[in-house]
Formats: sequence, structure tokens, C-alpha cells
Amino acid sequence: MDFIIKIFSDSLYFTGPILLCTLGGLFAYKANMINIGLEGMMLFGGFISALILFFTHSWIIAFIAAILLAILLGLLFSYFGVTKKANFIITGFAINLLAIAVGKYVLAALGSIDINVISDVTRQMAAIDLGIIGEIPVIGPIINKQSFLTYFSFILIFICQFVLFNTKFGTYVRVVGESEEAAKSIGISINKIKYLAVIIGALLCAFAGYNVAINQLASYTPDITAGTGFIAIAAIYCGAGNPKNSSLYAILFGLSRSLAVNLSLRIGTIAGLLEMIPYIMIIIVLTVVGIIRKRKTLYRGFLHE
Amino acid sequence: MEIIKTIELTRMFGDFIANNQIDLTVEENEIKAIVGENGAGKSTLMNMLYGLLKPTAGEIYIRGEVVHFDSPNDAIKKGIGMVHQHFKLVPSLTIYENVILGIEVERKIKLGKYSFSLPSIDHKYEAKAIQDLIDRFQFGLKSTDIVKNLSIGAKQKVEILKMLYRNVDIVIFDEPTAVLTPQEIKAFFVTLKELKKQGKSIILITHKLQEVMEVSDSVTVIKQGKVIGNRVTKETSDKELARMMVGREVLLNVEKKYQDYSKNEIVYEIKDLTTYNHDGIKVVNGISFHLRKGEILGIAGVEGNGQSELLDLLTGLSQSISGKIIFNGIDITNKWPDEMRTQKIGFIPEDRYEQGLCLDMSIAENMIAGHHGKKEVCKHGLLLTQKINEKRDRLIKSNDIRVSDCEGNVSSLSGGNAQKIILAREFDANPELLIAAQPTRGVDIGAIEYIHKSLLNLQAQGKSILLISSELSEIMSLADRIAVIYKGQIIGEVNGINASREEIGLLMAGICERKPENEVR
Amino acid sequence: MKYDKQALKQSGFKILSMIIPVLIAFAIGAIVILFAKENPLKIYFILFDRSFFRIQGLLKTLHYAGPLILAGLAIALSFKAGLFNMGIEGQIISAGFVVAVLGYLWQSLPSIVLIPLLLIIGTLVGVIVAILPAILKARYNVNEMVVTLLLNYAIIQVLEYLTSNVFRDPSSGYVSTNMIGQSAIMTRLFGSKLTMFFFVVVVVFVIFYYIFNRSKLGYEITAMGKNRFFAEATGMRIQRKIMIIMLTSGALAGLAGAGWMLSEKFSYTLDFSGTPGLGWDGMLIALLGSHSPIGILVAGIFYAILKTGSSNIAIFTNVPAEIIVLLQALIVLFLSLKMIIKAASKRASKRKEKN
Repeated sequence: MDFIIKIFSDSLYFTGPILLCTLGGLFAYKANMINIGLEGMMLFGGFISALILFFTHSWIIAFIAAILLAILLGLLFSYFGVTKKANFIITGFAINLLAIAVGKYVLAALGSIDINVISDVTRQMAAIDLGIIGEIPVIGPIINKQSFLTYFSFILIFICQFVLFNTKFGTYVRVVGESEEAAKSIGISINKIKYLAVIIGALLCAFAGYNVAINQLASYTPDITAGTGFIAIAAIYCGAGNPKNSSLYAILFGLSRSLAVNLSLRIGTIAGLLEMIPYIMIIIVLTVVGIIRKRKTLYRGFLHE
Repeated sequence: MEIIKTIELTRMFGDFIANNQIDLTVEENEIKAIVGENGAGKSTLMNMLYGLLKPTAGEIYIRGEVVHFDSPNDAIKKGIGMVHQHFKLVPSLTIYENVILGIEVERKIKLGKYSFSLPSIDHKYEAKAIQDLIDRFQFGLKSTDIVKNLSIGAKQKVEILKMLYRNVDIVIFDEPTAVLTPQEIKAFFVTLKELKKQGKSIILITHKLQEVMEVSDSVTVIKQGKVIGNRVTKETSDKELARMMVGREVLLNVEKKYQDYSKNEIVYEIKDLTTYNHDGIKVVNGISFHLRKGEILGIAGVEGNGQSELLDLLTGLSQSISGKIIFNGIDITNKWPDEMRTQKIGFIPEDRYEQGLCLDMSIAENMIAGHHGKKEVCKHGLLLTQKINEKRDRLIKSNDIRVSDCEGNVSSLSGGNAQKIILAREFDANPELLIAAQPTRGVDIGAIEYIHKSLLNLQAQGKSILLISSELSEIMSLADRIAVIYKGQIIGEVNGINASREEIGLLMAGICERKPENEVR
Repeated sequence: MKYDKQALKQSGFKILSMIIPVLIAFAIGAIVILFAKENPLKIYFILFDRSFFRIQGLLKTLHYAGPLILAGLAIALSFKAGLFNMGIEGQIISAGFVVAVLGYLWQSLPSIVLIPLLLIIGTLVGVIVAILPAILKARYNVNEMVVTLLLNYAIIQVLEYLTSNVFRDPSSGYVSTNMIGQSAIMTRLFGSKLTMFFFVVVVVFVIFYYIFNRSKLGYEITAMGKNRFFAEATGMRIQRKIMIIMLTSGALAGLAGAGWMLSEKFSYTLDFSGTPGLGWDGMLIALLGSHSPIGILVAGIFYAILKTGSSNIAIFTNVPAEIIVLLQALIVLFLSLKMIIKAASKRASKRKEKN
């Protein structure tokens, strides 16, 4: 029983960062600006917050630094991808490369293999004790003692759902993604919406990075993200950019990660293959969608996509 | 009173002068028609009035006041609205969401005398407000319907609602009837008159002179970016307008000799062809016709009645679920485009820049497309550059294609010259059958004449031509027989020589009282 | 198609669009170097001098350039046709892994048989890995970029498991397969790192030079990339071409992986392909060379210079070798701007406005 609880509790733990990246990337996805750089933006977030925390010992300054860097990265990505009309897939890819490169360079310059901030991370930062809620049988131990950002990520699902479908901004994001012509004709500033969508994504990715590097691991190495950004892209695709559906996939992927980690203690490294699940899953989903679409069409090749 | 006045309004794109010192006056509460050929500069002018383009020089006055628009929003604030030819709607949203897009209504809470706006859209209120508007103008729509499920006529109404909701008093219509069926056009005119009755001023951009005569109060003719003249509709005729548009006496009909082909052998036969589109609708529904040697068969019809889908079937770009295509006795149903070509069928596609040409490739590369595997240009899988260049030079010369740089890309050519490249390429392959779709769309009058003559020349060599066009006059002046397509079916057929516009028009509208007498197998 | 002003101007643009991102990246790199209290000019001098202008360094650079050029060609082939095959990395490491295992198991075979056999098998592995995304794209129009990208991660997981369990060399202190046999190792030439593999690459390069520039297939690839509707409508059978292109691209990647194994690595480790990985290097090279074979040749060698140079920088200066990774990332970033294509698209949009 404890083992089962551990699996579910860990899946919340792993879901947090995935959810943050998913919900963040979803706005850009809806605005037709798929952001491959989620992974890099998250890594940058983890890097800068660990670095700043290491030197200032203040998590607030570290958090603010992560936010500022995220906005900067968001601006960079949108300046290239929106204003300069660059190939934003490559731009996103470059941000991923850059995140690794900057991290490695700084680590090499510091002459260290990681940025260890364990002494600056309090117990409360790592895991909040929910008190009475934590004592509910089964549910309690599962949801108790997660970091603030992990809890926040679940609340964010509903916020995003509301924003996307019930606010002007959310509506405009969808309109820009679906028909730029329509947006233009009624004077929606397409670029502004895209910039905002990207920056929101960058911010949430930075939160994810902070969550992993500070709350969960209390240290930074260039591999802490472990493909979370790409898993988030998978979740976004599988859920077609709908916050609720995509989040469901994010949770599922969190669960498969938790299974991989926990089962490896029992059945050995073959459990690592469970980490493939998100990747295989999206390929299957895309294939099924593709087959269904193909069944419906009598067109050859790629006309009338 | 003058509601709009422009003074020497000019717009340039690089060196190209799209609008040259245009003086336009629109009176309050009139229906002003602006006519001109494709590329005359009508759309540029309207885009400036609507704030989508900025003038290079000149002034716009609204009710006597100078205005400068940075965006359509500025124009709307001054009471100018526009209904585009290609609707700018968001398919997945409802009617009310589309109408209200950009000026959403948010929930409010009242605390005493203060009222706060919440960042939450009031969907209920919006749906009701738009339904009221719909009812006031008797548009017969339901505000919560999803736009992608609407007919084209209904979509146009949504576009009009967008403007009405914004309280504009000048509405610009850009080629509003191009995509409508004859009945929808009639209904649209009723809407126009209703709008006028409610005090709106209307600008109508069109190149259909009959409609101008029927519905407008005054006309301005534009040619090559300049105003050629202004007329009061009652005091002019379509003949005069046509002469002004083109700049010379118009000979819209090329001379054609009609012959009796009914004894000739059948070269191309379509039997009961059917296909679905993405939504599972039978867009081509049991079409049958045949083509005899040396004959031109025209397929007329309002756009969107299955012509494009039929064409995709005939060119091998999509597959039929039943029916047959037989060419020279060989079954070529559902063959691929390259196989169609090896059977000596030539194609002039409907969308020149999408399917016919590759803009970012050179003229030479475009001239061999589809025939690039033939021995004359390709050996052992390698292309023979010199032979290709020779072919290019030969075709440029023989087809009088005006190119500034023969090494350049097709993107540097005008519409007419680009179309000539397709013509040259397809004719050079010496086809037994040519399938030509909208061959003169968007090209200037000179090129139209050339293209029409080329088609008749090809016919004179004993080749057969299938002509699909939404320009009725084009079909009437070229085709020996005219079949009319309506809702994916051939609804009737008439002889080219004694066809009347009225008769075909009725068929295009789906009105067919008698059974078509010589409906083909 | 050549020897006139327009073409000259265009190739001038092309070269410029290659150089500008590199210069910007180097300029930013210089600032970073200044922070490390070193002279950027000195660093860059060491970078190029030791890996290009000295014969041993040059041979080493050429040795590194081999797989990079192949990876660059693999990417360019698909990108040029408008197919975003991001799976090169996965194909390279799969081929490397299989060749490592077989190179150990079959080591009793003589070199003359074993090496060509392994190169062919590596190539085939690349093809096999490419089959799934190719079919999905060609038949069902499944987004090939997403599929190949994710497939890479899946392959990494599988290979990690296989290397650390089934095929692990128990005597090795770290996770690695057994070393391939002596007979599978390609002999070094001229007392340098260079092996015969480089000449294999040269032959492949020449073949692909003709395919890109002269062949019917090359013409069709260009047409597909520039206007897919046009290509389909003029009978180029896109679906079939997608299969050919994706599989050929996989073959090139497989060959690169096999060559890298037999001429440099000799056993499969988790960092077989380095950071960020040969496949990703290949993408940079293809972009930098703007998908033209000659461009890829130049870019591949340039990139190999960075690779050889990075160890020299670490040895002879105080700047971390990671400066090179930083430079690479910056180059990709600025390459995404595609400076020439902008000029072309401006023209196109002008034309559209006119109509």
C-alpha cells in the first residue's frame, strides 16, 4: 500500500513541472507559434534561480531573476519568431542548445559539476505540510508535502481553461491561431497577442525550472529538465491545446515517470523504458488522428490539408 | 452631402503605382459602384479607405474632415465598415462571437454607485444582443450557430452583422456577389436596399456591370489605378461602362466557327463520377459527360458547386468512389497526375500559383514541370541544362512571353505572362485533350484574348478541350456545348451556338423544369 | 542558371547569410571571453591556427568533418524537400550501437570483409529507423517533425537500457558496450586520425552533389520544398518521394553513425554522439550551408574546426572548452533568422499586395 501511495505521490511530484510547461506552451500552440524551446526555457529558469540563490541566499531574488530571464527569453523568441519572422522551430531549438551551453559554460567557469543550493532550501520550500488535509487516509499522504509550485500547477489548469475560453485575451489567442486574417480585419494586434502568448509560456517554464532546481532537487545540473519540455509538447499535441485535455496527458506522463522511477527499484533498469511512454504515446495519438483523417479524405498527397 | 471624399489619393508598391491620384466622392445614403478590371486598383483604394493600407500621398475626408487611419479600428470609429470578398471569419466560433469579436462584452458588478468590469466575457448577454440585431434586420440566423457550418450566403450576412453591430454608416462591399448563387444575389440586393433604407451609405466594388446597373445610384470607373470617369447610373449603359473600363471598344467574344461534332468519335468520357469531401458530403455526385474529338465542352456554374472537386478527380489529385473516366478507350479512373500526363492530357489548373507554377523556381524549371522526366530534357536521371534552356528560349519566343530576365523566377512575371508559361508548357507537350480551368482568371484583357485564341487554335488542330469556368461569357464564346454544374451534378446541357444567358442562368440557379433532353448517358 | 548577375548576386547573398550569423555569434562569444579575462582574438587564433593551418590539425579536422558532412547532407536532403526530419540523431546512435555490437561479435572476420559489411549494416539501420516516420508521413501525413523528435528520445531510452544491461562490457568502469574487434577498426592514415572513412564520405558527397544539383530527383525535391501543391499537381508523386527522401536521409545518418563508431569511438557509450549530438550538429551544418552540398562541405569543415579547436582552447587558454558549445548555440539562433529568404519573401508579399 505504501508503495502505491508512493507512486501516486511521486506522480504528483513529477507532474508539477510537466504541467507548468504544458499549460505555458499551450498558449503559444494555440496562437500557432509552437514553441520547441520550452525545454530550454525551463532549463534557463532552473539555472538562473539556482545560480542567484547560490550567491544571494534569497529565494525571492532567485525567483524574480527567473521571472526576468523568462521574460527576456520570451521576448527573444517572439522577436525572432514574430517580428523577424524567423523559423521559430529552429529558434526554439537554438534556445534549447543555448540553455545547455550557458549552463555548461558557467559550470566550467565555476569549476564545478553542479550548483548545489541545498543549504538555502528550507523544508517549507521543498514540501508544504497541509496539516489536517494530510491526515485524510490514502488521499492525504498522496497530496501532502508537495512544493507550492506543484500545487499551483494544478490550480493553474482551471485558470488557463478560464482564460482561454472566457477572457478577451484567450479568445484573441485562439482567433490569431485559427485565422490571422480575421484577427487583422477587426484590428487585433496579432504580434502583441503572440508575444504575450510566448511570454506566458516562458514564465511558466521558468516556474517549472525553479520548481525542479530549487524545490525538488536543490541543485542545478544541465540535465535536470530530462526532456520535460518535450513531454509537455507531447501533452499539448495529445490534448490538442485544450487546457483540461492536455493537462490530463501531462498527469498521465507524470504517472509514467513515477512508475519508471519507483519500479526501477523493484524490477531493475528495464523500468527506465517506462519513460518512453509519453513519447510512444504521442506518436500513437498522432498516427491514429492521421489515419482517421486519411480515411475521411479521398485526396491524394497533401492537398487540402 | 459628401460623406467620403478623396483628393489625389495615391498608393505605390515599390515602383508600381497601384492608385494614381484618385479623386472619389461618395454622397450620403447612396449606393456607389466602383468598377474596373482585375488589377485596376479597386481593392487598393478600398483598403486605404478601411485603414488596411496607408496612402503614399493624398487625403481622405469623411464628412468634410481629414482622417488618417492606422488600422481598420480607426476606420470603424469613423463609421466605415468593410465586407471582404474572402470572409474574415473564425470558423470554430459561433455567429455571435464572430460578430462581437474585438469588442467583447464583459461581466460587470455593481457596488453602490461604482461598477467594475470583470475580465470575464458575458456569453449570455452577447448571444442575446446579436440575436436581437439579427431579428431587426430579418437575417434569419441563430446567433449561437457555429460559423463553419453556415452556407456562404449566411456567412456573408455574418460579415454584414459585424459591421452593423459596430454602428457603421458606410459599408464597403468587395466583390460581394462573386461567391453567391443567383438567388443569393437577389437576396443580397434586398439586403442592400434595406441597408440604404435604414440610412447607410454603400460602396460596391464589382466588375459585373449588370449588377451595377441594377442596384447602384452612381458609378466610378477605375482603370490602371486612375479614375476614368463618373456616371449617374440612370444616365449610362453597361456598354459605355465596359468601354470606359477597357479603354477601347470591347470585343469580348472572339470569333468562333461552330461545327457539328456529333459524328466525331468520343475521346473522353466521364461516367457517373462520384466523390466525397472531408465532411462526407457528395461534392461530385454522379457526373457524366463526354467529349468528342475536336470539340470544346464548357462546364458552367456558380463557383463552389463541385467544379474544383471535379477538376481534382480529372487531374488525378483525388479519388472517386464510383464511376469511370475513359480516355481513348482506356480506363484512366483514379490514375495519378503523372499517368494522366503520359496519356497526353494537358492541364491548366484553377489556381495558377498554387498548382500550376512554382513562384520561387526559375522560368526554365517551371517550363519542364510535369514533363521533366522526358527524354528531351533528362538522361539517366540527370537533367540536361542546356536542352532545358533551349526549350525555355523557344517557348518564350513562340508564345510572346514578356520577361525582363529569362533566368529570373516566375514570381517576377505578371499574371498574364505567368499563365502563358503554363499554356506554353502544356501545349508543347502536344496533348490530345486539354483540361482548362478558369484559364483567364485574374489576367488582363490582352492576355485573355491571347489565351482564348490559343485555345481555339488548339481546337483547330483537332484536339478536344474541356473548359471549366465561372465566367459565363467566356464559356459562351468558346464552347460548342455547355454543361451546367449545380450541387455536384450536371443539371443540364445546352448547345453553344444558340445558348441564351437566361437559359444557362436558370440552370446555374438549379432551376430545371424540363429533363435535359440530351443528358449524356 | 549560372554565370549571370542575378545568380552571382544570389550566391553572394547566400554566402553573406552564412557568414553573418557566424560573425554575430563570434562577437557575442568575444564578449564572453572578455569576461573570462582573455583576449578573444588570441582565442580565435588558437582555434583556427591549430586545427586548420597545421597539417596534423587539418587532418584531424577532416577526420571529424566526415560524419558531420554526412549528417549535414542527411538533414539538408529532407529540409530541402520541406520535410523536417529531426530523427538524424536517433538514426546515428542506433547505427553506432548496432555496429558496435556486431563489430565485437563478428571480430573473427577479416577487415576487408568486416568493415564494409558493418558500414552497410549501419546504413541499413539508419534506413530501418527512418521507416516508421517515413510511412507515417507519406501515408497518413503525421507531423514528421514531432514523430522523429520524440522517437529520438525513445531510442535514447532503449539504447541506454541495452547498453547498461544486455550488452554492457562488465570489465568497463562505466556504462559501455564491449570494444569492437581489432579487425573492425579502420586504420589510421598518414600518422594522423584520418581513416579511409573520410574517402568514403568524399565519394558519397560527390554522388549527392549530383543528386542535389543535376538530377531529376533533385529537381523534384526542390519543387516539393518550394511548393508542395505544384509538385503534386505536376505529377511528382509526393508520397513516393517522401519515402525515398526520408529513407535516403536515414541511410546517410546510419552511415555517419557507423563510420563514427569504426573510425573514432570503437565502443558504444551513452555520450557516443557527444553534446549536443552529431545529428544536431548536422542540422546546424545544413542550415549554415543553406542546404547546398558545397555549403555543407564548407560548413562541415568549419564545424569540425570548432570541434578540434575546442580541446586546444582548453589546453592552451583559461577559457573553458564549453565556449565552443556556446558559439554553436548562438550560430543556430542567428541562423534561424534566414537573412536571404527574408529578401525573397518581401518580393513575394509585394506581389501579393498588388493583386
